[in-house]
Amino acid sequence: MTSTQAGGRTGQSGPKGFLVVRRAVAVPVRRVSVFTALALLALIVAGSVATLSLGRLGIPLAELGEALTGGAEGKNAFVLERLRGPRLVVAMGTGCALGLSGALFQSATRNPLGSPDVIGLGAGAGAGAAFAALMLPGTVSVPLGALIGGVLAMALVYVSTGTGFRNPARLVVAGIGVAAICAAVTQYVVYAMKRDSAAELTAYVNGSLDSRSWEDATTIGLVLLAVVPFTALVARRLSVGEMGDDISQGLGADPRSTKTYAVVLAIVLSAGAVSVAGPIAFIALTAPQIAKRITRASGPHLLLASLTGALLMVAADLCAQQLPLFEDLPVGIYTMAIGGAYLGYLLTRERRKGAL
Amino acid sequence: MATVTHVPPGSASHRGTARRVFAMIAGLAVLVLAVAASVVFGSSTTSVGDVADVLSGTADAEITTIVESRYPRTALGVLAGLCLAVAGTLMQGVTRNHLAEPGLLGINAGASASIVTATAFWGATGSTAAMWWALPGALVAGVAVQIIGSSGSGRSQVRLVLAGAVLSAVLMAYIQAVTLTKPQVFDSYRYWVVGALGGRDFDVLLSMLPFAGAGLLLALLLGHSLNALALGDATAASLGANPWAVRTGGLFAATLLSAAATAAVGPIAFVGLAVPHIVRAVVGADFRWQIVFSAVAGPSLMLAADVVGRVVMRPQELMVGIVTAFVGAPALLIAVRRMRGNA
Repeated sequence: MTSTQAGGRTGQSGPKGFLVVRRAVAVPVRRVSVFTALALLALIVAGSVATLSLGRLGIPLAELGEALTGGAEGKNAFVLERLRGPRLVVAMGTGCALGLSGALFQSATRNPLGSPDVIGLGAGAGAGAAFAALMLPGTVSVPLGALIGGVLAMALVYVSTGTGFRNPARLVVAGIGVAAICAAVTQYVVYAMKRDSAAELTAYVNGSLDSRSWEDATTIGLVLLAVVPFTALVARRLSVGEMGDDISQGLGADPRSTKTYAVVLAIVLSAGAVSVAGPIAFIALTAPQIAKRITRASGPHLLLASLTGALLMVAADLCAQQLPLFEDLPVGIYTMAIGGAYLGYLLTRERRKGAL
Repeated sequence: MATVTHVPPGSASHRGTARRVFAMIAGLAVLVLAVAASVVFGSSTTSVGDVADVLSGTADAEITTIVESRYPRTALGVLAGLCLAVAGTLMQGVTRNHLAEPGLLGINAGASASIVTATAFWGATGSTAAMWWALPGALVAGVAVQIIGSSGSGRSQVRLVLAGAVLSAVLMAYIQAVTLTKPQVFDSYRYWVVGALGGRDFDVLLSMLPFAGAGLLLALLLGHSLNALALGDATAASLGANPWAVRTGGLFAATLLSAAATAAVGPIAFVGLAVPHIVRAVVGADFRWQIVFSAVAGPSLMLAADVVGRVVMRPQELMVGIVTAFVGAPALLIAVRRMRGNA
């Protein structure tokens, strides 16, 4: 596509699969990745339009363009600015952050199951967020609480495996144990402080996007803004790292420090997402895997994983808002059901391939 | 992957037997203490003297009501703890996997999902109906986990646990979806979903007894064959035990016990994991001893967890299922260190 055009214009055929800009810069680009990214973007836009326009309170399609360009009035303004706008932005932001976090973690542990929601990072951040919000309101901010919770959970996993994050079997089992402890902490905090509010409990345990504000959208936006440049820096070293520790050492990408950076960035991203939406399950696991299966390329797929994560969140939230089967369920229950089924499918597939 | 050092039946030294008898007496003493604590401690403060007065019939009406309200939950804790611990021991013996446990492997979640479905859509009510509905759910979940979790070349411990976690997650999502959308149907199930001993009466205990009794009896009968199975299938067959029959019987007994416990007190995890690990360390590899000792240690752990839950945030109560996760999940972290290779 772009490569041949760019090469043709300068009268020189650029190397295949590279995006060449004025013969000075050549960036490797796989055509299928570009198409996939564009398709994902289109689907996210479609999902967003559906989120804003469907249902009894939806903004009619004819008025949507005007409303988005600043001409919203009355009910439309309320829906766009208070009800669904912030919620949609938070859904996209958390989806991006979780997809990216999953891709980083899976690449660092070289294991699809070494993903934040399987090994207890989400649950840990959720427990920290619940603790900060309910036990220490005002003294510790929720994002900071989520970060501390996530770091503590990962430290506990790292210590209890005895082999760090290397051994996938130990990682998974220790993660399940730590996740159970963290979920118990969350339940304890909610029952102690909020007594019997079932809706409150499920929001803290499963994650929810109900009544999010622009403040939440700003928080996740800032986290993404702060972390994404660093992930771009670590991305190349991660794809080198996927060739194995020895080769990546030989190529000058120290595998140990690369993995440490990736894990730290993943924890920050997860903590950011959890602090605005709660411990949403299985987006971090599924998004990078789906991205990988579509493009069939090597490497950590950071961009595609984050786009897929955003799309999954927007779609899940659309289900949560519009499906007539169950009313008013938090979005985390949908991602848990669908993501869990996908993980079960992955497990049976891997059995046939003989891995794990 | 588990190495089971087997003590052949009959060759146990006198010292070993003496140690087990001593351990058994100590275990019973702990159980008596746990029962006493469960009667004495609660969300309202009562003293040992109050309880003595109630037992001799000289206490005033209010104290009597408070103390007597603790009888059913204590009895329920004993029976549920016994069921879960024996089920865990059976499952670990049959699958030779030290991570096997009804909560982790999704069997409790299957029983719960089945009960919730029957209650929400087919109008099932009462504790006996719950027992009967729990059984098919537990069986289906157990088979599903085996199918997803078994791998082509030998069994992997981790695959099974992961399959259980996945199944539990999906089923819990379903349970929450149903209970949140029909709150009026599930008013009495609010704490049951997390696992709780409080608020149930002796009827629950009575409807649980036949299932628990049948499961325990089957477990005791299988003890000898499980010892043979631990030596490997071929040796077991030469010793006169049919490996397939022992496995099926063991898993069925474990399912019966888990279903009964779940129907009565909700999906409680980690009791069935922590107790067998303690029991193995104390009485060794003989399954006949393990099963008997689990039946003593399980209730103690369950009651201790319940007492902690009652006093930790007075006057509110913390559900026993939350406390067992705090106490039991570390057992999983300890077990991780003993896993070898990629298991």
